[in-house]
Amino acid sequence: MSLRKKARTVLILFSLILTSGSMLRVLTGGAARRGIQGGMPSWSEGVGPCPAREREAGSEANVGRGKASQQITDSLGRKVVLPDKAEKVLSLQPEITRIVVALGAGERLVGVDYFILKNDHLFPIVFPEGRKLPAVSNTPEDMNFEMVMKLDPDIVFISPTELQMVDSLQSKMRRPVAALASMGSFDKLLQEIKLVGHMLGREERASELVDDFLSRIEAVRKSVSSVSPGKRPRVYLSFWGSLTRTPVTYEPVDSAGGINCAMGILPAYLGTIATVVSLEQIVIWQPDIFLVQGSYPPRERQVTVEDILLDKRFSSLPAIKNKKVFYTFGYWYWWDPAEVLTETLYLTRLFHPEVASPRSLETEGNEIFKKYYGIEDGFSLLCRVLDCGQWDAE
Amino acid sequence: MQNKKAKILTVLFFLLPFLLTLASLSIGRFHVPPKDLARTIIQTISPSTGPRVPTAYQDILFRIRLPRLLLALMAGAALSLSGASLQALFKNPLVNEFILGISFGAAFGAALSLVFLGKNFPAQIAAFIFSLIAVLAVLLISGRSESHTISILLTGVIVSAFFQALLSLVEFFANPYALQSLFFWLLGSLSLATWKDLSISLPIMAVGIVALIMMRWRLNVLSLSDEEAKSMGVNVRRERLLVILFASLITAAATAVAGVIGWIGLIIPHLVRMMVGADNRKVIPLAAALGASALIIADDITRVAATFEIPIGILTSIIGIPFFIILLRRSRKVWL
Amino acid sequence: MAVSIDVRELSFGYKDFRLSIDCLRLETRKVTSIVGRNGAGKSTFLKCLAGVVPVSKQSLFLDGRDLASLRMAERAKLISYVPQEISLALDYRVLDLVLMGRAAFISPFSVPSWKDLRTAEEALRFVGLEGFETRNFSQLSSGERRLVLIARTLAQSAEILLLDEPTTFLDPKHEIEVMNLCRKLALDKGKTVIVTLHNLETAVNYSDTMVFMKKGKVVASGKPDEVLNSSLLEQVYDIRMTIVPHDGKKIIFR
Repeated sequence: MSLRKKARTVLILFSLILTSGSMLRVLTGGAARRGIQGGMPSWSEGVGPCPAREREAGSEANVGRGKASQQITDSLGRKVVLPDKAEKVLSLQPEITRIVVALGAGERLVGVDYFILKNDHLFPIVFPEGRKLPAVSNTPEDMNFEMVMKLDPDIVFISPTELQMVDSLQSKMRRPVAALASMGSFDKLLQEIKLVGHMLGREERASELVDDFLSRIEAVRKSVSSVSPGKRPRVYLSFWGSLTRTPVTYEPVDSAGGINCAMGILPAYLGTIATVVSLEQIVIWQPDIFLVQGSYPPRERQVTVEDILLDKRFSSLPAIKNKKVFYTFGYWYWWDPAEVLTETLYLTRLFHPEVASPRSLETEGNEIFKKYYGIEDGFSLLCRVLDCGQWDAE
Repeated sequence: MQNKKAKILTVLFFLLPFLLTLASLSIGRFHVPPKDLARTIIQTISPSTGPRVPTAYQDILFRIRLPRLLLALMAGAALSLSGASLQALFKNPLVNEFILGISFGAAFGAALSLVFLGKNFPAQIAAFIFSLIAVLAVLLISGRSESHTISILLTGVIVSAFFQALLSLVEFFANPYALQSLFFWLLGSLSLATWKDLSISLPIMAVGIVALIMMRWRLNVLSLSDEEAKSMGVNVRRERLLVILFASLITAAATAVAGVIGWIGLIIPHLVRMMVGADNRKVIPLAAALGASALIIADDITRVAATFEIPIGILTSIIGIPFFIILLRRSRKVWL
Repeated sequence: MAVSIDVRELSFGYKDFRLSIDCLRLETRKVTSIVGRNGAGKSTFLKCLAGVVPVSKQSLFLDGRDLASLRMAERAKLISYVPQEISLALDYRVLDLVLMGRAAFISPFSVPSWKDLRTAEEALRFVGLEGFETRNFSQLSSGERRLVLIARTLAQSAEILLLDEPTTFLDPKHEIEVMNLCRKLALDKGKTVIVTLHNLETAVNYSDTMVFMKKGKVVASGKPDEVLNSSLLEQVYDIRMTIVPHDGKKIIFR
């Protein structure tokens, strides 16, 4: 055979081997590897060769996990199998990062995403050592898989909005990838805390936080329930740096006894959070209170309270006439549990001062932050960063 | 007889945008009955006539609707006029008002401003400046080449692509919130127009619109080959530059304030040429009138259709494209 | 007003070709045809005269005035030009096309006046296309289209009309129509008509003066009766031809 023919034969054989090899792999499902995402019936509920979880050094007493489930269901309905150990956590979803820190597992973070490092105000306050963490991009266009591999995490948390990425990451990484986000629901937020707690072996701490949250929210809801529906203020929310962009759902407002003007504009099954309305629509609604998203640093705010008070187009609104235009935290890559809790308390004082707690918001806020993050004066610090002196918080 | 009918129709067509503006003042989710509309207008002039209308009416009509309608009027005229002139100039039916890089230049300018300067700098001014920079780049690069028109078109495509790449770069570095602002800006919206925005952009558009309408006959001559036009004593290079300058000016001014609103500059001129033939003396003014009317109607639709507001750029595409397809099938042969 | 055209050391070239005319005077109020082989420089010469192609100063003189020093609009009022082929982008009406010829008289920001309109209508009448005003250009035959273009140059009211190959692609009937029109223009309107022609016979039988060109140079010029002979033709066209007079006209056999 001539050299060319030989080369051709070798090439054909080589490619045949490769293709058959990968076909074999697909057929056997690679189930022999550990931590592979489910759909694999062999890894459900306490069954399987997975060894019991090791205890982390210096952590709380290990809660008996013999009967604990080996998998969870994430926000996309995927079944995510728990790894043997969860010492290295890569969190590409800022909300989850905050929860990880709140659960006291912050030191397990091996990587975070860009938003929490560059745009989050709370993160450097509650977890200053996090500043040194490497950042991995969390959008499909520029996700750096090699970086992820290098960090070698045991678990990856990601936003459920990046659908294609979730599965591709899962298959590339063969580590549990959980897509979690609260999507603007308190229930989901609390469930998330529990799930993450379960995945990291911090169930007790998770329960603690969830119970605290629930009790405070319940207290608020109870105090507000005595207010007749007619007396609930109509609230218009100007979020995302634009007068006309508003969230169709904002639970803190609902819990605090207010009525979100934009509620129900879009059909609920879509799950869309934001919509755009016309200025006229705002005038039609005649809101009693106008809330502006204050999470933007003061210099960067496109929409400010002062501008709205001076805007002649809104002069007929009760909110303007009564000077009830305030800042609030709003969605900032979903929520921080401590922040949103404090926000709800703040809103209760705004909407219904007569039934709200007589305690100073600052004191109560700091208390909450201490509980969640173990730092002193957390709320005061945050307020200073966001220039909350302009807010109607005391 | 034919002439008289044509004259009446022409007058009607030119009045149309203004009539529509008046009618649209009473259109919107906030119901202002025509009687109150009239009263509000009268009371703005002489405040003491009759019982006072609620202040909300005045806010709605004069602070929210009127600036918006005026912007729709002028931007609609500007975009379709620009498209019509450039189509004649470049002798090409596929040319639109954004062909010289204006849309991406404006988008890039707005992106730079929104992402890096935030509130300190109004995005409109940056958008305006960069869209003109794009046109300037096109003119400088295509420079003194032989087949001027072809090289301008090609350079326009390249410069657009360049600014698009720069835009992507800025988007890459932008935080999610600036990104969202940019996204909505790009979709086009007349809703946030304030009198302050209009005070700068309307005069610019007015100047350019008037200039182009004055040059309507000249465009006939400029649509001939260079050879022919030169032999007829026309300084082709200079006059072509003039048309490009005015067309770019009004497109930039419209885009800076209203965002990128597509298809008006492509469809309206074609529609008009189908109706009245190729003579730019008729096409140009009619394109302005019809463009203005079209954008006012589109804006009316976005205001009324639902509680939420569909960005107008989306609407013009959704309505525009099928309409264009219908046009193509029925068009009488105007382009050779 | 009679205008004389003097060519002095006209030189123009591009990659493979150089037009070089040392000294030539063109008769006014006459029909002059420029003949020669393909690529002899006939069209180029016309374009130089028309100002479509830039020429150096001091090479073309109109009534003693240097053409290169004139502004475009001024020049257009003296010389008008019909190219060999035009590619129209839009389907204009005949009258609108003819009106375009008035561009030199109308500022960029104005529209044609009544006078312009009347001039255009008159031009159409002169070339025999009265009634064609509202027809679309694409609906006309080649002959009619040619006439429209001539009407356009007529509307330009210039003294000198340059027509580049006006009879090419026309059938004999239309060819004669166009040449008779040229003669009428010279006789009735006192215009100087300069045409480039392919058809030697047409040139010989319909022009007052002829200019023979070869390889960018003028070989001979003068009245057909005076300069025409076989050796000249052989020199210009590189083939033998015989000239036979017949019925007052000349027929040329190849």
